[in-house]
Amino acid sequence: MSTPALALAVALLTILGYWIGRRRSFAVVANDTSKLHSRPTYHGFYVAIWCGIPAAFVFFFWVLFEGYLITDLVVAGLPESVVGGLSADRMNLVVNDILNLASGNIVATESDPMLRAAADHYIQLQSMSRVALVVLVLSLAVAGMGLSLRAVQPHNRVRNRVERVVQIFLIGSSTIAVFATIGIVLSVLFEAIRFFEAVPLSEFLFGLQWSPQMAIREDQVGSSGAFGAIPLFAGTLLISFIAMLVAVPVGLMSAIYLGEYASRKVRALVKPLLEVLAGIPTVVYGFFAALTVAPFIRDNGSLLGLDVSSESALAAGLVMGIMIIPFVSSLSDDVINAVPQAMRDGSEALGATRSETIKKVVIPAALPGIVGGILLAVSRAIGETMIVVMAAGLAANLTANPLEAVTTVTVQIVTLLVGDQEFDSPKTLAAFALGLMLFIVTLVLNVIALHVVRRYREQYE
Amino acid sequence: MNQGSADKTRVDRTARKTVGDFTHPDPRITCRNVSVHYGDKCAVRNVDLDIGRNEVIALIGPSGCGKSSFLRCLNRMNDTIEGCRVSGEFRMDGNDLYDPDMDVVLLRAQVGIVFQKPNPFPKSIFDNVAYGPRIHGLAQTRAGVEEIVETSLKRAGLWEEVKDYLNDPGTSLSGGQQQRLCVARAIAVNPEVVLMDEPCSALDPIATARIEELIDELSELYSIVIVTHSMQQAARVSERTAYFHLGDLIEVGATDEVFTKPQHKLTEDYITGRFG
Repeated sequence: MSTPALALAVALLTILGYWIGRRRSFAVVANDTSKLHSRPTYHGFYVAIWCGIPAAFVFFFWVLFEGYLITDLVVAGLPESVVGGLSADRMNLVVNDILNLASGNIVATESDPMLRAAADHYIQLQSMSRVALVVLVLSLAVAGMGLSLRAVQPHNRVRNRVERVVQIFLIGSSTIAVFATIGIVLSVLFEAIRFFEAVPLSEFLFGLQWSPQMAIREDQVGSSGAFGAIPLFAGTLLISFIAMLVAVPVGLMSAIYLGEYASRKVRALVKPLLEVLAGIPTVVYGFFAALTVAPFIRDNGSLLGLDVSSESALAAGLVMGIMIIPFVSSLSDDVINAVPQAMRDGSEALGATRSETIKKVVIPAALPGIVGGILLAVSRAIGETMIVVMAAGLAANLTANPLEAVTTVTVQIVTLLVGDQEFDSPKTLAAFALGLMLFIVTLVLNVIALHVVRRYREQYE
Repeated sequence: MNQGSADKTRVDRTARKTVGDFTHPDPRITCRNVSVHYGDKCAVRNVDLDIGRNEVIALIGPSGCGKSSFLRCLNRMNDTIEGCRVSGEFRMDGNDLYDPDMDVVLLRAQVGIVFQKPNPFPKSIFDNVAYGPRIHGLAQTRAGVEEIVETSLKRAGLWEEVKDYLNDPGTSLSGGQQQRLCVARAIAVNPEVVLMDEPCSALDPIATARIEELIDELSELYSIVIVTHSMQQAARVSERTAYFHLGDLIEVGATDEVFTKPQHKLTEDYITGRFG
């Protein structure tokens, strides 16, 4: 029985369990369901849970570990004369050969009878494992169904148990995000630590020079590499700053218009249109920035006698700002709408004009949400990659002039990891160090903003 | 009017013409032929009523009878409701309230309103009261604002309770205190008329008594229009009472007469509790 067929069988057994459990619950009280503590559906779910979950668990872990176990058994069965004195790398090659032989792929050492025997051993173990799996899973499912069917009794509090299981599932789902975050941080962290073994932390944090090219061979002419991250972070902050300069006023003002002044019809039309901006792929923004906005700025700059490079922080920042307008406007609009009408009435009843009401009552009450929206936009701006790759350039200039080309952390991560790399060179590992720094920066920004919001918000009921 | 055999002289239930004298010898606001529509639904129909100088007039009636809608017309708070149309004539001291040239902001400074649910701003107690005076520039200095805040809180009977906590948020007060704060906020801009839309419906009896005392004191300075569901409250605080029923103004008269000798059958049924 193949794996998908077995999974299907378990699923069918589970559905059958639900149906039988439900039928049984009617039967034990002779159709007078008012005598049941739990509704028939709960009895059905209870049987289905016992039928499906233990079997699915065993199934999952068996499939997960089966490969390792069988390989270990096969390796242990190899004669000492072959295994003795092999390094881990060589051993891996031998195992690979065995696996390839077992799955019928052609390998170079086809004629080796010892490997042939090992492959046969492997195939034999695998088919044994398959049979054992089918027997175990199906018997677990049937046993679970049988045992839980005995629990279909009028006074059994099955509903409480089913709800407990549901609760456990909900908890499990909500922890997945947490574990994913931890996993990402750890994987970046370990690579970053390897980088800091090669390059001192102080040089990375405070160095003003970024030029990650390393000599690959001893005799190669070229740089020894400089890993000062300051120009990258300066570039990131410059572009993000320009983007926020565009997005915050435009987004906030359009949110105020939509929330306070626009009629229902205009709102129903304009809000989705604004949100379309969020749906445009960043690549499209990227070539809009590189092919339309950047030349436009350069040409107009030269008319004014300014020296604008064709890839400028200004172009990238402007387009990025347009991209994040909907983040600011949509979230701000939602929180402005959430401010109770009673606040506005109270203010207008005192003779305040619409704009005074907005400035002095609505905005302060909506401030936490607005800051939240802006913060999300900042994180988006800092982490944005595609626009800056295409429009901001690769040169790590340390400058505050928005008309020059700068580069950002994300752009450098991309250039470091694109193409052929070796994962033991500081050049490649630097990408992970940059990623970690980026993560820390956004995290700190979030914490600060949360604190600010909690401190200054005007809480309405 | 002949008050002989009660039931015969009472106006029939089906009659919808206002009984009693809707005018006032010294009117502050005169309303003629007022109707309010929400979309197609008519909430107030052809109402005539005068609000006198320094009088307390109570608007009573079952829920949905249009008394709040009528009240909100008096400082044009209905303007903010989408789909609401107001027709008829409102004059305050001879000026048409619904004249296109009428400055709503000034009108609302003259006609203040206290809502059913206390709605202090999420600001400090001080800033809540100072809000109106600041936007109208009633005081040029910090000391001037402080003086207005103190007087208003004193008049609202809240000063003693909050004078040491002026920087606490207004929302931290109890319900009754919040409502008095809203009254203080409304009178801080020196209105001439104060509208109250069921100001005590969310309050306990002690806080209610406090507000009623306040209405008594304020009536020396202001005209007060109060919408209430409590007939005892109307009887206690008002000089005149107007009974609304399904959008019609049924009966107006001196409060003691309306409550003791109602002339309209509907009024009698309502105040004797035959329907609510």
